[in-house]
Amino acid sequence: MAMLQRTGHRAAIAAVLAMFVSANVAAAQTTLERVRANGRVRVGIDATYPPFGMAEGGEFRGFDVDIARAIARQLRVDAELINASFDGVFPALQNGNFDLVISAVTITPERSGTLLFSDPYIETGQQIVVRDDSPIAGLGDLAGRTVGVQINTTAQFTLEKHPGISIAKYNTIDLALLDLQNGRVDAVASDGPVLRFMMRNSFPGLKAVGAEYTDEKFGVVLARGSDDLRRAVNAALWAMQESGEYTRIYTKWFGDRATQGTLDAASTALDPSLIARTWRFFLRGVWMTAAMAVSSLILCLPLGLALALARVQSNRILSAPAAIYVEVMRGTPLLVQILFVYFVLPSFGVNLPAYASGILALTLNASAYVSETIRAGILSIDAGQMEAARTLGMSYAQAMRRIILPQTFRRVVPPLTNEGIALLKDSSLVSVIGLTELARTGQELASRYAAPLTIWPLVALLYLVLTFPLTRVAEYLERRWRPVTRA
Amino acid sequence: MIEVANVVKRYGTTSVLNRATFRIAEGQLTTILGPSGCGKSTMLRCLNRLERFDEGEIRIGDVVMKGTSAGAPSRSEEDDLIHRVRLRVGLVFQNFNLFPHLTALGNVIEAPITVKRLPRSQADEVGRLFLNLVGLSGREHEYPARLSGGQQQRVAIARALAMEPDVVLFDEPTSSLDPRLIGEVASLLHLLDELKKTLIVVTHDLDFAQAISDQVIYFEGGRAVESGSAREVFSSPTQPETRAFMNSFHSGRAGARA
Repeated sequence: MAMLQRTGHRAAIAAVLAMFVSANVAAAQTTLERVRANGRVRVGIDATYPPFGMAEGGEFRGFDVDIARAIARQLRVDAELINASFDGVFPALQNGNFDLVISAVTITPERSGTLLFSDPYIETGQQIVVRDDSPIAGLGDLAGRTVGVQINTTAQFTLEKHPGISIAKYNTIDLALLDLQNGRVDAVASDGPVLRFMMRNSFPGLKAVGAEYTDEKFGVVLARGSDDLRRAVNAALWAMQESGEYTRIYTKWFGDRATQGTLDAASTALDPSLIARTWRFFLRGVWMTAAMAVSSLILCLPLGLALALARVQSNRILSAPAAIYVEVMRGTPLLVQILFVYFVLPSFGVNLPAYASGILALTLNASAYVSETIRAGILSIDAGQMEAARTLGMSYAQAMRRIILPQTFRRVVPPLTNEGIALLKDSSLVSVIGLTELARTGQELASRYAAPLTIWPLVALLYLVLTFPLTRVAEYLERRWRPVTRA
Repeated sequence: MIEVANVVKRYGTTSVLNRATFRIAEGQLTTILGPSGCGKSTMLRCLNRLERFDEGEIRIGDVVMKGTSAGAPSRSEEDDLIHRVRLRVGLVFQNFNLFPHLTALGNVIEAPITVKRLPRSQADEVGRLFLNLVGLSGREHEYPARLSGGQQQRVAIARALAMEPDVVLFDEPTSSLDPRLIGEVASLLHLLDELKKTLIVVTHDLDFAQAISDQVIYFEGGRAVESGSAREVFSSPTQPETRAFMNSFHSGRAGARA
């Protein structure tokens, strides 16, 4: 199924990173021994895929979640679930950030080349959903039609083998279904259980047609070298089968009377009551985004200032490294920098937790832009100011500190405000290393409640609220300094 | 005593100063007069070590600056030289270069505090004294942008005086001002003359030079063509260049009035 190949548009990046990341399972201790010694098994999961994995704030629910907890019980350890975007889940596994990935991952030959799989723990297949009034009755009627899929999923790859079908790719499946409702596509193809969950919750006016037309097996994923842990996981799966625990979990999520998390059914229409139910989770996301952005902003200002000062020196020993740093940081995507800090630095002995990695990457990136803004500010100050200061006997450093920089700061407040706002919004990229900030919270809740129409405007509004204090501070500073800057 | 001997300053192949040689007596107001492009402003910047020069020598009291063709000074030697020159020589820029983020008083006390390590209260006292001297009592807390051109120039003068230099250089003090204020500048310079400072004024304005000078150096082609007391130079110039400048200046002005 889908999730396996759901490496998204960042697949190439992840692949490059994977090459850097040695499968560095220390030989001294086997994975199973480590899990036993720690008393916990760390499970990576992309919890935006109901009913397999869902999250509300820090709380996980879903079929994969129950399977993970049952395996941990069998191993007599605690399960530590770690929410990670699917793009980052395999590099993180190979990097040793997780022991297992249980995230609706299809067993395929390609994956088996680089990863270990347990025995399959569920079989499923793809299905087609259309509008109630559609004449389409199954896969055979799709020629000449437009079909929505989640990007880079097995649903997409299967349909690509059928000529004549034009395919529209979406980042998440709830967006594909929304477009089907809006009439932009004729059908949506995805995993049967996921489609059924989505339709039970919301999306009125849609129906599933035909049977599941593929056969896919999900497995628990392990890093290479974890053979003993794989044996233990397989034993746990068989024990669950024997004891009837597996059947209980399966029935809970896929049985005829499965509630499938429909307790809080929402509609795709604007639903104010959903806001009342989810505001606590949004608060956590807002807090995370604000904390990331404010920490990075505070850290990037002195770093940016130092870089700017180095760059305006005539001494190339100082200015050249700063120039190179700025070039590299501005010339590479922030996303790659975040992945680099989190996944590649550990192989150089720098192993930072996700939160610190996110702040570090944002800081390093923003300081390059901030330094250019400050440098432009310094250069915009009339050369006569430095001359006047030096003529009065001040040293270069004194003149910079007392005369040039105070004027520079007054000038760069507006562009620095822009940098701050950009930083705040760019912080959404840290979700790739599993940090549940505001945008990721929105993603989780939009799929959890199948309610993109309510969730995304709310997310946008919350970002607006977050940027507001920044612009107020900038306005205050501009107002305060107005009599000085007015010529 | 300031002695300038055979100073040469080149930008690429162009010589801006061409074996400039002259002396300036202490405690006098000396004008370096000359047409635009004669090198007089560059001469002034060399006196204050804002520019290095290639050949020759400048002596200001016991401070000696030599041309770089004889060997450039090391970084620390240069820093030391600059420090000694700047403590002794103040400069009032043509466009004043006031610090726009500081008040009039802030402009005046900044260097005494950061360079001379004067305590704030003492610096305030000194600052008020010099602002009072240039006639700006009561405007201490105004920012430069709120002051007229003439007032800005007074702040710049007070700022230079607050470091208590022996020599104060003025670069074209009349050119940024309304012509009606030129008389005021002249009386301000006479006032400073009373302080027994060595004042050196660079200007191309003959009338202004006549109104203020004790001594005059006529500058043209990057060198001092003629020097002497104001009376001598203005009433009976000996050099043809000086005479030509004075004639053209007056005929130009007459033409402008007609």
